[in-house]
Amino acid sequence: MAEKLIELKNVTYVYEADEEGEPGYAAVKDVSLDIHKGEFAVILGHNGSGKSTLAKLMNAIYEPSEGTVTVKGIPSDSEENGDKIRRIVGMVFQNPDNQIVATIVEDDVAFGPENLGVEPSEIRRRVDEALKTVGMYEHREREPHKLSGGQKQRVAIAGVLAMQTECIILDEPTAMLDPVGREEVINTIRRLNKEMGITVVLITHFMEEAVLADRVIVFDGGRCIAEGTPREIFSQPGFLIDHGLDIPQSAQLSNALGFEECALTPEECVDKITEMMGGAKND
Amino acid sequence: MTDPIKLINVSHYYSQGLPVQVAAVKNINLTIKAGEAVGIIGHTGSGKSTLISHFNGLLKPSEGTVLVDGEDIHKDKETLRRSRFKIGLCFQYPESQLFEETVAKDIAFGPGNMGLSDSEIALRVERAAEFVGLKRELLSKSPFDLSGGEKRRAAIAGVMAMEPEVLVLDEPAAGLDPRGKNEILRMIMNYREQTGSTIVFVSHSMEDIAATAERIIVMNHGEIALEGTVDEVFSHGESLRTMGLNVPEITRIFMMLRQRGIDVPSNIYSVEEGARILRGLAEGRRG
Amino acid sequence: MVRDITFGQYYPGSSAVHKMDARMKFVLTFGMIVCIFVCRNFFSLGLMVLFTSAAVAVSRIPLKMILKSIKPVAVILIFTGILNIFYTKGGETWFSFWKISVTEKGVYTAVFTMIRIIVLVIISSLLTYTTTPTMLTDALERLLSPLKVFHIKVHTLAMMMTLALRFIPTLIEEIERIMNAQKARGADLESGGLIRRAKALIPVFVPLMVSSFRRAYELAFAMTCRCYTGGDGRTRMKQMKLGLRDFIALTVCLAVLAGIITLNHFFPKVI
Repeated sequence: MAEKLIELKNVTYVYEADEEGEPGYAAVKDVSLDIHKGEFAVILGHNGSGKSTLAKLMNAIYEPSEGTVTVKGIPSDSEENGDKIRRIVGMVFQNPDNQIVATIVEDDVAFGPENLGVEPSEIRRRVDEALKTVGMYEHREREPHKLSGGQKQRVAIAGVLAMQTECIILDEPTAMLDPVGREEVINTIRRLNKEMGITVVLITHFMEEAVLADRVIVFDGGRCIAEGTPREIFSQPGFLIDHGLDIPQSAQLSNALGFEECALTPEECVDKITEMMGGAKND
Repeated sequence: MTDPIKLINVSHYYSQGLPVQVAAVKNINLTIKAGEAVGIIGHTGSGKSTLISHFNGLLKPSEGTVLVDGEDIHKDKETLRRSRFKIGLCFQYPESQLFEETVAKDIAFGPGNMGLSDSEIALRVERAAEFVGLKRELLSKSPFDLSGGEKRRAAIAGVMAMEPEVLVLDEPAAGLDPRGKNEILRMIMNYREQTGSTIVFVSHSMEDIAATAERIIVMNHGEIALEGTVDEVFSHGESLRTMGLNVPEITRIFMMLRQRGIDVPSNIYSVEEGARILRGLAEGRRG
Repeated sequence: MVRDITFGQYYPGSSAVHKMDARMKFVLTFGMIVCIFVCRNFFSLGLMVLFTSAAVAVSRIPLKMILKSIKPVAVILIFTGILNIFYTKGGETWFSFWKISVTEKGVYTAVFTMIRIIVLVIISSLLTYTTTPTMLTDALERLLSPLKVFHIKVHTLAMMMTLALRFIPTLIEEIERIMNAQKARGADLESGGLIRRAKALIPVFVPLMVSSFRRAYELAFAMTCRCYTGGDGRTRMKQMKLGLRDFIALTVCLAVLAGIITLNHFFPKVI
């Protein structure tokens, strides 16, 4: 097994009761989980399943109420360590508008490295490189509010890339995008993982995105309830639906037809059905 | 009977008069018939949102006429106001319109603006809450204390409570998880069944459109590119793809099977139906 | 559409004025505004007009844009002119009717004041036309950084300005969206008296506040994730360097100041 990058041991996170009488509750309960270097992990779960809290625990925005979170051996138990962890684990959020701080694209990408105190010439180099990687270089002097949702998210990803973190956590980065924007962002994420070896943790409830993962972790009620390859997870009909999720139609159809292993894409599904029919008629 | 919505040669230009006139929609001729369920698809920037904003007169066409129940919606202020209540428009992420102290008061905002009696308003609030499946005890809560899915439903109830002839929804399920999405879709279909209202909804999901619409309008570059029944529109798989759209995944599988020479219909829109056909076919071959 | 809004009134270009260090532009603009008020007669003011015209020519900002910047102050301009013509008395009386009289001094003062205002507006808009809002806030932060000695959080203030600039278009878009949603529910936002209208805005104002707080909250998270811990230890990608052209500009401005003082000294004052 590859080196462990993020380790969660028996982590519980409790939102405290507030003064207005809202009761406190545990959003994450006794979760033990490792994220390995270089992997593409997808965390699936319906809204309110605790997956966003989990993300915030992974880059030390929250400190666990119980248990430990360590990133490359650094425990997230102090403000100082939090800063160190966030240099290793970057994060992209759901709403593209609420994470862009500057009025010009390239200035925004520079924001992270500037905070880290990187040399100006080096920042320039990293910013240009990051913008080229996400395909936004030609838009570097534009104002963020004039970009599409998918473009804004790619700028946000470039902002993390410029910090040269080893891992990127993306908290439902495509939930507010249209299909075109979603594809732009997902292709970018895949490239980061496959070509640059960056560890990716993608939190989503789009099943098409889960198909691309090395490993799927299913979350419900603040607990990790299943873990496996996309094929293993999608081959259990009913399981995901019971947990407020869904499976791609290709997998649904192959499950309905009783295939042992489900198909993940329409192409795969067609192959399997053709095989079931004993080859096409005109063969 | 007159059609609830009719658009005649409607065009809308942004920055009119400037050297660069951008047509958001152009030459739209469209009729929404009473009782229909119409789905509108098209990629972002294809003019869908501009189009539906004409239905209740939020936008005034640069050219052409919008008729609601046979009357020019921009004839006078009074007609415009009446049309707002006849055509209930529910925008994307409608939860951002919630503002009242309680959910009940918020749902009552629309009916209140109609000048209805208090007892009638109370009745409508109750009915709308029931349609969207909001429990009675939630009605006295602050809308800001609801969960994401509940907020969405409360906001839709706010439009339903006006009891419009046509309910227009712009991506009612955007941003929701699969369960939330299915609940919203089921709720809308249920509403239609019980009230017989006309439904128009915009969606990016071909699967959702196939499951709920009877007729589909495809927008591309501000114009109606395709229009017809679900079968008709989805039979144009190639041209849909050039517009950045697609057919539902299950339909795609059946289209590919046909290409391989397997004798299956290509107008399949649900997994259950598809599985049934394939099972039958497999048995036939074996037998 | 809101998307097309450009903030500040930056007019893109690559002239020498555009390329100047924003800090120098800031200081010189301020200095030249002071110069306007040092002018005491038409000769020194003439020099100021000459300088301004030259600066506009070098910046290659079209005359149309310059005129556009004067338009909003037109009313003030006319008002000041009229006030000065009728209320400043002195010298030869040129025109008199009933209780109103126009004197030589009145006309001179009126013309002088109006020219002053026009020059003032042109000089300050030249700064905003040739400098992006980001560069302006940046320059301001750097110029004011000595104030840190007095425990004034200059960086925080500059950050707030940047964020305001960044979020104004987003919020305008949001207001438009909420207004449309409420109009679709039959809200009447346009008619009625002042109180009725103010009340009608509650359905717009409340959701706007709610969403703004949520944005602020999320933004704070996002900034923490990008290792933002305040101004200490930060570096900047875009360095500000004083170049030859900045010193030339400085020299020119000092020469104009010297000219103004000389002309003030040798010719009688108007004001």
